[in-house]
Amino acid sequence: MASLKRSFESDPFAQNISSKVYVRSTKSGKVQKIVREVYLRQDIPCSSRLCNACLKIAPRDAANRPIPFVLSDKPAGTSVFTQGHYIVPDTNAFLSAMDLFEQSSAFYDVIVLQVVLEEVRARSLPLYNRLISLTKSEDKRFYVFFNEFRLETYVTREEGESVNDRNDRAVRKAVKWYNEHLSKTSKKAPAVVMLSNDRDNLRKAKEDDIPAYSLADYVKQLKDGEQLLDMIPEVEERDALIEKKPGQFLYPEYYTLSKMNTGVRNGLLHQGIFNVSPYNYLEGSIRVPAFPKALLILGRENINRAVDGDLVVVEVLPKDQWKEPSTQVIEEEAVTKNENPDTEEGSDLISEKERKALQEEAKRTLAKTTEGHALPTAKVVGIIKRNWRQYVGHIDQSSVSSSAAQGRKQDSVFVIPMDKKIPKIRLRTRQVAELLGKRILVTIDAWDRTSRHPTGHFVRSLGELETKAAETEALLLEYDVQYRPFPKTVLDCLPKEGHDWKVPASMDDPGWRDRADLRDLLICSIDPIGCQDIDDALHARPLPNGNFEVGVHIADVSHFVKPNNAMDTEASIRGTTVYLVDKRIDMLPMLLGTDLCSLKPYVERYAFSVIWEMNSNADIVGARFTKSVIKSREAFSYEQAQLRIDDASQQDELTNSIRTLLELSKKLKQKRLDAGALSLSSPEIKVHMESETSDPIDVKTKEHLPTMSLVEEFMLLANTSVAAKIYEAFPQTAILRRHAAPPKTNFDELANQLRVKKGLDLSVESSRALADSLDLCVDPKEPFFNTLIRIMATRCMMSAEYFCSGTQSYPEFRHYGLASEIYTHFTSPIRRYADLVAHRQLAAAIEYEPVHPAVRSRGRLEAVCKNINVRHRNAQLAGRASIAYYVGQALRGKATEEDGFVMKIFSNGFVVLVPRFGIESLIRLRDLAEPEPAATYDAETYTLTTTGSREVKVELFQKVRVKVTDQKDETTGKRGVKMELVSTY
Amino acid sequence: MASSQHVLLSPAELAYLHASLSLTPPIRPDGRSPTQFRPLVAETGILPGTNGSARICFADGTEAIVGVKAEVERTRTRHDFPSLDEGAEGDDDDLEDNQHDVVKGDNDWVEMTVEIPGYRDDDAGTVFLSAMLSEALLADGEFTKRLWINRRFHWKLYLDILLISPPLSYPLPLLSLTTHLALLATRLPRLKSEGDEDPLFDDDWAAAAYLYPRPAAKKGSKKTTSFATPTARPPVTLLVMAVGNNIIFDPSKEELAVADVALAVSVGESSNPSSSTAMDIETEETKGHHNLRILSVRTIDPPSRLTPPGIPNASNSAYGANAAGAKDTEKKKQQQEQARTAESEAVEGVWKAPRGGAKPLVLAALVQKVLEKGGVADEVLDALDGVDLN
Repeated sequence: MASLKRSFESDPFAQNISSKVYVRSTKSGKVQKIVREVYLRQDIPCSSRLCNACLKIAPRDAANRPIPFVLSDKPAGTSVFTQGHYIVPDTNAFLSAMDLFEQSSAFYDVIVLQVVLEEVRARSLPLYNRLISLTKSEDKRFYVFFNEFRLETYVTREEGESVNDRNDRAVRKAVKWYNEHLSKTSKKAPAVVMLSNDRDNLRKAKEDDIPAYSLADYVKQLKDGEQLLDMIPEVEERDALIEKKPGQFLYPEYYTLSKMNTGVRNGLLHQGIFNVSPYNYLEGSIRVPAFPKALLILGRENINRAVDGDLVVVEVLPKDQWKEPSTQVIEEEAVTKNENPDTEEGSDLISEKERKALQEEAKRTLAKTTEGHALPTAKVVGIIKRNWRQYVGHIDQSSVSSSAAQGRKQDSVFVIPMDKKIPKIRLRTRQVAELLGKRILVTIDAWDRTSRHPTGHFVRSLGELETKAAETEALLLEYDVQYRPFPKTVLDCLPKEGHDWKVPASMDDPGWRDRADLRDLLICSIDPIGCQDIDDALHARPLPNGNFEVGVHIADVSHFVKPNNAMDTEASIRGTTVYLVDKRIDMLPMLLGTDLCSLKPYVERYAFSVIWEMNSNADIVGARFTKSVIKSREAFSYEQAQLRIDDASQQDELTNSIRTLLELSKKLKQKRLDAGALSLSSPEIKVHMESETSDPIDVKTKEHLPTMSLVEEFMLLANTSVAAKIYEAFPQTAILRRHAAPPKTNFDELANQLRVKKGLDLSVESSRALADSLDLCVDPKEPFFNTLIRIMATRCMMSAEYFCSGTQSYPEFRHYGLASEIYTHFTSPIRRYADLVAHRQLAAAIEYEPVHPAVRSRGRLEAVCKNINVRHRNAQLAGRASIAYYVGQALRGKATEEDGFVMKIFSNGFVVLVPRFGIESLIRLRDLAEPEPAATYDAETYTLTTTGSREVKVELFQKVRVKVTDQKDETTGKRGVKMELVSTY
Repeated sequence: MASSQHVLLSPAELAYLHASLSLTPPIRPDGRSPTQFRPLVAETGILPGTNGSARICFADGTEAIVGVKAEVERTRTRHDFPSLDEGAEGDDDDLEDNQHDVVKGDNDWVEMTVEIPGYRDDDAGTVFLSAMLSEALLADGEFTKRLWINRRFHWKLYLDILLISPPLSYPLPLLSLTTHLALLATRLPRLKSEGDEDPLFDDDWAAAAYLYPRPAAKKGSKKTTSFATPTARPPVTLLVMAVGNNIIFDPSKEELAVADVALAVSVGESSNPSSSTAMDIETEETKGHHNLRILSVRTIDPPSRLTPPGIPNASNSAYGANAAGAKDTEKKKQQQEQARTAESEAVEGVWKAPRGGAKPLVLAALVQKVLEKGGVADEVLDALDGVDLN
């Protein structure tokens, strides 16, 4: 009987074939044995320009030209490898020090092994993407060598060998092969050096006589390597933890993955995103589906090394340990100020000061445990996924020892991140002196059980604190805004004509296909002053039957940005245009955004039009959607449009049509409010800049004009109409926007505060009830009070989100704030990616173009929604942070007294909002007077009474007089606003 | 099906065959001794995608392959389960105690399909084959215990048994031996999680554990080590038949056509720790022999019952019986009587299909023969030991 098994001895091709056998566990719990055949080849080139042998066998393109080799024939040398060298980093070298490889001063001619690339992808997608872009860059000369398919470098897993060990061995084998291979080319062939930070791997390499160095040792061989040293994390020791005595562990151990999975599935443990309270770094919260309210996580030990944003697993603590959320402000800088970064090991987990702060908490809760205010608390038992990114911060001056500021020896210092929710990071650096007073970018490497603080390494310096360039970049980095210039591949997607592009004159041109010619309509746009990216334009005209024709015309971006090309991909990653005070980071290249798509006046432009027929009561009689060509007659600013409407002498057709629009918009708004739409508030202010230097000179609250709500109403109407249309056409895949009704419990605190302090009732049964009761929240003496309550109510709401219609049931589509059954974003495709997708879907719905798979695939749309939801939020936060920074700059050196309102109160401080500047700031007890006055806090009545050095009584919602000055916060390095209480009213 | 397959032998040939098998010692058509198996070729691991597989070819050209696939399945919770809280929160010894208590299997955890070319899968014969094979496997309840992962999960085993040649002889022994080998070669991914957690497995296939663990040391070493952990083995089902007082193993198709009685005897290797003392003594005496026990016995309806009987010359009109010239009715009567005796009495050299059940004494002898030390079962198991299982 002939055997059916492949016999490797008899098969002439056997040496080219190998197989991999492994066990794969799927998410659903399936366990499969996977067998993969591996076909090994010998024609994978080494890609060194020195090598002629490989050139002969290298694969050729269609024109029979060999693909050019990557690695230089004259690679740079180091002090050890004077003949030149190529670098082969292993996986953890990339994982821990990707920034190093992106340096322009060194790290050229790098061989990226396939096994390394795959491991990097499995461990961290962002790092993988950075590595891929490195391999694409021509001047860095990174070559991906498919070692897993080359006969000589393939290794099979040995019995009992872990995957990591096997991969490390594959790396060593590849390095060895490269060295042998290149030595055949010439006598002075460049050396091939393995870089690793894994001691075990280095040791084995040494045994096999393979040139290998740790990153630090390697960098020392380079010229000017000193500066790079800081970017290297320390050499990993896999068993470092075991050597330490158990007594030195500061934090509890994490559960095993399987234990966590089991617990989560059984409902014993809960999984969610860990959030840190902005006021108290020792208090975190986590929202899990099983509990209506967020779970509290109090104290260092319970937080157990979780960092804001991590996906963690928590265990609920027994009921007797449930607590109220803290009413105290605890700031990390203040409490841990005098810690020494060098000698922290062996110290207790909870420092004396922290303990004191927590004890006061405990006393307070003990005093009234009988009450039902306690919230469930939990402790972190494991981390599913770290969400660490690069953090912007600066070195804590107080953590620097005096000797370190001069010498060049390595020192430990603390970096205080700009984001207060991130714990301070221990950093080892040699350039303390240079980095002091600079904004720097750092990453967290690890957080061991033995270390109180996470350890990290330096990435790069952004520049001096408080310089505009550094602060703006810091802000963009903090909010993960993609601000690099558009790459060439994206710019290649732009029309060749550039700024000379015009709507084709001939109506036979394919661009005119199925387009309505609306050039004779009196269309105008109304936007803020100086707006360049004009998304929308409007028109209205009376019809013979007494009704009105109203049109909303939106820039036809989808004509220029075709699905799935480089520009589309870039736009979908950016998601939205980000507006900072002095800067705009575009989603689309300038050429489109401010010219070709922008509905500029006096020129013909492609548009996507929504045209309604309305009666004089603003009821919609009919609606149609069409691609069109328009010619805007005028681009108004809100102010100009308002002046024109108000000027009775202007009786031209255009002005009258704006008046018609205004009339109709008022009726639309009334209908919306009747349906229960909320009018919410957030403090909006505008920073005035000096035109030449763009230095901020003044801050003003934004004025509201009727023309603004004119535009707003019609945009809402267009969005709603389009939403209904695309949902009808694509019930499963329409891109929509929803605003979930907030859980009632969100309003508990606010409702209680209003009842106690003002005797007002807040009813939250429906958006209508809420709108009505918000209208009743007035203080006759204080007109701003209503706005204050609206601001606070807005913070209790959920945030609106994009979603794909198939993921929710129809009742869930509701937009709570707008009281609309269905809603989407359609009107700003230049600055929002969601609108662009909606455009494509609408175009397909009206059969203007065939449905592109990208707008039909639910999985892809869900991914797009997820991304743009995050981007949208970040853009908002970045915008706000930018305003806050400029407010600080505008106030620089000035001191003004302003009215403010107490909007939050703690047992050791309170938060005041100053409407004039739209800023809020914390006033601590110790800011009131020196020495710090004693205080009693009555949580029932939200009253803080101080005695001793200064006697004041502060209540919630109280109007106070504060002195606003600017102050450079010594710890965060931010110039911010500082408030001092002058008097209470 | 296969057992009652039509045999193209004339009554005279059947009679001859029967007679030669009844001799002492019996003479088998292929010259084998009564206890000799047909030569076979076996290999394992032929299907890389399965958890275990085997293939056996008999010299007569019949060939079978068996593939074993395992899947993790959630165990249906029973009411008497202690709640999970206690399990998860309780201290460690508690957990371990529980574990020992509840290791038990369920027959639903094994799913077996038999495929015989040319027959429907609901053919009575195929169903009977699969019933016999799974009965042998599940009879003592020991096998399914191996599939236990923890109180919440178990392996579900799918056994696909395929005869890939036409059924030239009754395929039961072939299928059983192939299944036996496949199970011996079956490996399950190594469990990494502990206790009643959701199972998590080692991704290294090389670390996967054998369903039937190998002894730590091979035969060379003495009892102290090699018998410390008795290695159990999956059952084998042997086909045994009796002709007269002769007991014949592994009958060919033709032999089966004249069997007085045919039995399928499933034997397993006992690994019962309670009898360990007895075992020790036994092993002293019969070193190297297997500690066998009967798992199940099934009688098989031999095809001999459906064979056409031969007619003795006396009552054959073609020969003397009719030649005398029968005219009167008396003779006719006599003839009929003779015919009756032909059906009831054995006539030397004339084939007559066997009737009635097997005699208990014969059955006992058959079973005894199977279990005999150094007998066929031992021999077969030893032979299969020699197959490379990697």
